[in-house]
Amino acid sequence: MSGGVVLGVVGGLLCLLAVIVIGWALVAYNRLIRQRNQVQASWAQIDVQLKRRYDLIPNLVETVKGYAAHERGTLDAVVAARNSAIAASSDPRVGDRAAAENMLTQTLGRLFALAEAYPDLKANQNFAALQSELANTEDKIAYARQFYNSAVQTYNTSVQSLPTNVVAGIGGFRAQDFFEAGGGERGPVQVRF
Amino acid sequence: MDGRALLDLAVGGIAVGGWFLAYLLARVVTRPASPRPEPATPDLGPESPAVVSLVVNRWALTEDAAESTLLDLAARRFIELRQPGAEPAQTTVHLPPAAPDESGLRPYERHVLSRVRGLTVGGVVPLSALTFRDQAQAKRWEKRLRAEVVAEARAAGLSQRRFGPAVIGTLVTLAALASVVTGTAAFHYGVWSGSEDNAGVATGIFTFMVLAAIAGISPGERDTPLGRQVAARWLGVRDWLHGHEQFAELPPASVVVWDRYLAYGAAVGATHLASTILDLGMGNRELVWSSYGGTWHRVRVRYPRLWSRYGRTTSKLLWRALLAAAAGLALLAFAPRGLDSLPEIDLLDDAVLAVGVLLLLTGTYKLARTIIDLATERTITGEVLWLEVWDTASQGEDRPSRPVTHYLAVDDGTDDRTTAWALPSEWESRCHDGDTVTIRVRPWSRRVVELTIVGHGRSRDLAEAPTGDIAAPATPRFLPTTDEVARALGRPIRDGDRVPLGGALYLSADRGKALLLVQALGGTPGRWAWRANSRGQALPGIGDGAFASGDRAALRVGETTVVFTLMGEARDRQAYLPWLAAQCATRMASGPS
Repeated sequence: MSGGVVLGVVGGLLCLLAVIVIGWALVAYNRLIRQRNQVQASWAQIDVQLKRRYDLIPNLVETVKGYAAHERGTLDAVVAARNSAIAASSDPRVGDRAAAENMLTQTLGRLFALAEAYPDLKANQNFAALQSELANTEDKIAYARQFYNSAVQTYNTSVQSLPTNVVAGIGGFRAQDFFEAGGGERGPVQVRF
Repeated sequence: MDGRALLDLAVGGIAVGGWFLAYLLARVVTRPASPRPEPATPDLGPESPAVVSLVVNRWALTEDAAESTLLDLAARRFIELRQPGAEPAQTTVHLPPAAPDESGLRPYERHVLSRVRGLTVGGVVPLSALTFRDQAQAKRWEKRLRAEVVAEARAAGLSQRRFGPAVIGTLVTLAALASVVTGTAAFHYGVWSGSEDNAGVATGIFTFMVLAAIAGISPGERDTPLGRQVAARWLGVRDWLHGHEQFAELPPASVVVWDRYLAYGAAVGATHLASTILDLGMGNRELVWSSYGGTWHRVRVRYPRLWSRYGRTTSKLLWRALLAAAAGLALLAFAPRGLDSLPEIDLLDDAVLAVGVLLLLTGTYKLARTIIDLATERTITGEVLWLEVWDTASQGEDRPSRPVTHYLAVDDGTDDRTTAWALPSEWESRCHDGDTVTIRVRPWSRRVVELTIVGHGRSRDLAEAPTGDIAAPATPRFLPTTDEVARALGRPIRDGDRVPLGGALYLSADRGKALLLVQALGGTPGRWAWRANSRGQALPGIGDGAFASGDRAALRVGETTVVFTLMGEARDRQAYLPWLAAQCATRMASGPS
């Protein structure tokens, strides 16, 4: 076999290999894009519910004030936590925002616990409606967080594992933070098998 | 072929072909829509997973409906799904100590819940043990579920019949036209060909009946404007769930974390692992769950197919053994001498001798085993795992073959492997899967020689009555019971088999021969049946009117006509027809069918 033929075969094989590698890289890149978009879409769902919660809190505070005005400390804590959460909403770091939101969740929990001591407040229809709406929003936040964390896990697995991490590095894909639950929600999970 | 005959044939063919074109057009026009999905969203709607399954699958109900309903019941804490290890297939279903209020459950949700509850032993059932062991039962259960889900979807304005009254009316009218044309063509052929029996009218009637019957077959459901909107929204949910790659691999027990999302995911086809494990269809006959002894365990069942001795009676086994031995002896005694004329063919001589020896040995062995089989009969008590037809016998060209032997798989709790026994088919109707039975068996031939039902199984309570079929009418409850028919005909009877148009066919328990046909007809067919059969001897005091004529009797109560027809060996029991009619009339007068 002449040297030219050998060179041609080797060259052809190298070209084929290059095509395969480029094809794989394109598929991997598109998959990363799709996963990152899913993370962003999942985050948007959390964002919607969090904003809904911000909107409900002023009405809740006003309603509680009418029955328990002297519980100023708790009310102020709720307002302050809401303001901190709103301020953190412009922070791109998910961890910081999660901390602010978890603080708000805890203060809201204290507010509802306080309401137990005021039968008139509990009987107030507006308060009951707000409480129900907030509980519903909390549920939605919980599910949205599950979806977000699921999307982040899939995305991070792709970004960090070989050989996709090569494409991720070139394409500027970075691992995302999980939206972690607050202290109360991270209690021991009772599993019965 | 004569030109006139060709013309008649072409006219008839064009008429029928034209009708089928119209039918095809109706199917195309009424085909369910494929709504465009709305943007991906995690927001769930108020529809139940089963209804969602219907609308997202282009108005065709799949097995996802039952599976997603089961997951939804788990999400709502009516049942608990627990995965004891790493293997999702080992998931078990548990009944909670205090179930939530069931008053808000939909009919099909109750349907699924009662199946789970009915199968639990000590409040537990493996998830993979929810499958059926009887094809007919599985179909009835599925049809009833389908009818209930479709009824809810229709009530909510999400679904409608694919062929509405207008379409069916048009198709029946066109069928009438086509049958007139076909009948006229056949009549014309009869006139010019000089045929003595002109088949014009019969052809027309036959054509009309066939085409009208085709028009009447329900082609399923289709969309509505509201249904399309709802489907588009749920398709958006499906896209959202598809976007989460991990969601497809969630096990059934993860419903405790994902709540109703997992149920809706199963409904829209976004779950892979959970849907693979969940199965409410027919089970695997070779790997059957048994709860005999109080704990759930799987039993591997073997169904012999090629054993010549399997299920044979002693006389047949003896006859075969003796025949083989006699043939062997004959070969040994006569063949070598008979082959003396061909001394050069030693090989053939040796082969004949070998076959003779083999046959003699086989016959002797079978004879010995048959005698041992008779002497070693034993009694087994256990749970019926599976029951199905094994061997059938032909009854002639025009009649369906009748079962002779059934496979009977019984778990006696001693081993996780067993081989099905051969049960004479006349005893098949006495037991049901899940029953506890005591059987006397011959171990070598695997034949059951005595069957005693010790206890009825849970699946008897779960057995679906042959109702709920939206395509065919249900068997009326006022029809004679098996006991009544047995008393009237003076012989054991098998459970009545359902027949088209609402009725039952009663067969003899021993040979499965048809003995009595009872048909209940309402509306116009009922009036026609009454006109045709209200003759012979009047039977006063039975219903609104009753007559008996030969081997036939007819009864009229309100708008319903019941016709009794004796068949075969039962034709001599005409004197008992009035009594049977009176039993039915009493039930018809006392309550709804």
